[in-house]
Amino acid sequence: MSESDPPVVLIVEDEPDVAETYKLWLEGDYEVRMAQNGDEGLELLDDTVDVVLLDRMMPGLSGDEVLSRIRERELGCRVAMVTAVEPDFDILEMGFDAYLSKPIRSEQLHDTVSNLLERSEYDSLLQDYYALVEKRATLEATKSNAELADSEEYADLKEQVAEMREGLSDTLGGIEDDDDFIATLRGLSNGEEN
Amino acid sequence: MAKRTEVMEDMYDLSSVLDFDALSEVRPGSSILISGPAMTGKQRLAYDILADGARDGDGTVVVTTGDDATDVVAEFRERVPELEESQLGVVDCRREGGSDNSSVDGAYVHQVSSPGDLTGIGIGITKTLEGLHNSGRDRGRLALVSLSTMLTYTDKKTVFKFCHVLSSRLDAADYIGVFTIDSGAHDQQTIQVIKQAFDGLIEVRDADGGGRESRVLGFSGEPTDWKRI
Repeated sequence: MSESDPPVVLIVEDEPDVAETYKLWLEGDYEVRMAQNGDEGLELLDDTVDVVLLDRMMPGLSGDEVLSRIRERELGCRVAMVTAVEPDFDILEMGFDAYLSKPIRSEQLHDTVSNLLERSEYDSLLQDYYALVEKRATLEATKSNAELADSEEYADLKEQVAEMREGLSDTLGGIEDDDDFIATLRGLSNGEEN
Repeated sequence: MAKRTEVMEDMYDLSSVLDFDALSEVRPGSSILISGPAMTGKQRLAYDILADGARDGDGTVVVTTGDDATDVVAEFRERVPELEESQLGVVDCRREGGSDNSSVDGAYVHQVSSPGDLTGIGIGITKTLEGLHNSGRDRGRLALVSLSTMLTYTDKKTVFKFCHVLSSRLDAADYIGVFTIDSGAHDQQTIQVIKQAFDGLIEVRDADGGGRESRVLGFSGEPTDWKRI
């Protein structure tokens, strides 16, 4: 995703009216793609998709099945489940990143999509942060204290690490929310660490 | 990640467990790494820090990769006789083959299938913190014993990120965290990476002529001198 391109949201929903409504709400801020069932959703899914809104109860492939295929393909997208009933905590254990219970209001939809995008932003910041931390550790493990004290590279690196750490704590409100916490940890286990 | 500057916050005093000035006012949200060779009492030190807080009513959370949850509960019951119902939660990462919640002798226990199941550990911690919060405990101490075991299940990058994210979560809860690592079990670079996920470091080692000694780094600029413990 380049700076100028809007994030991509894929709506997988079998009721056309409902799907159209979501599209209307979102198309001002995002590029919206629509699929009427799970199979079509999987076809339209590629690495340009940032967020998937996935209806849980659909004819054909269920939302749960679509989710597991998405995870198998190790795509970096975030998946919000849309459900008719309020789920319990176990939704997180099932591997969704968020859920929305019908009927959904426009504001709710926007909040959820932007939160999921922020989580992706957090993941990528955390990845960049790690790269710096590793670099610093390598210097620390291979140079003497005197060498480090004289090294401009090391001083710069220390500063960058501190800045990045600050930036991370400003993203997602520094993981205050339980859902953000669990979803971020799931991202770590999902093989995104390359 | 302790970064707040309000002066009104109630600091954690760990100096009664380990006598260093640098540990007398530890800011809520701080995460501390306890590092040292095998058999130098790292886990005991972590448990001491938790037990000391528990006596003052702090919430207590133990994430264990080695001890059985039942043993952890029994140990804390013995060390802190005044331990109340729902003051202690244990996340036991050794439950091979499945996850489960239960209650052991008045403590909340969450079972996780493996020390490599970070999501499961996160859910266990979340549920435990929620339980403690609901019973009115707004501060507390979490120990994770040990990162060395986790590092045998997953790589240092993942463990580093896990520590960073967990520290952020503890910061939001105004808890402090203590994490142990066996400094002899990993290469120098791994130790240097993991260290950076923490606000402070307590090093322990065997002292010349028997006994142990310790020093504290990271809280107030310069490392302290080694001191016998």
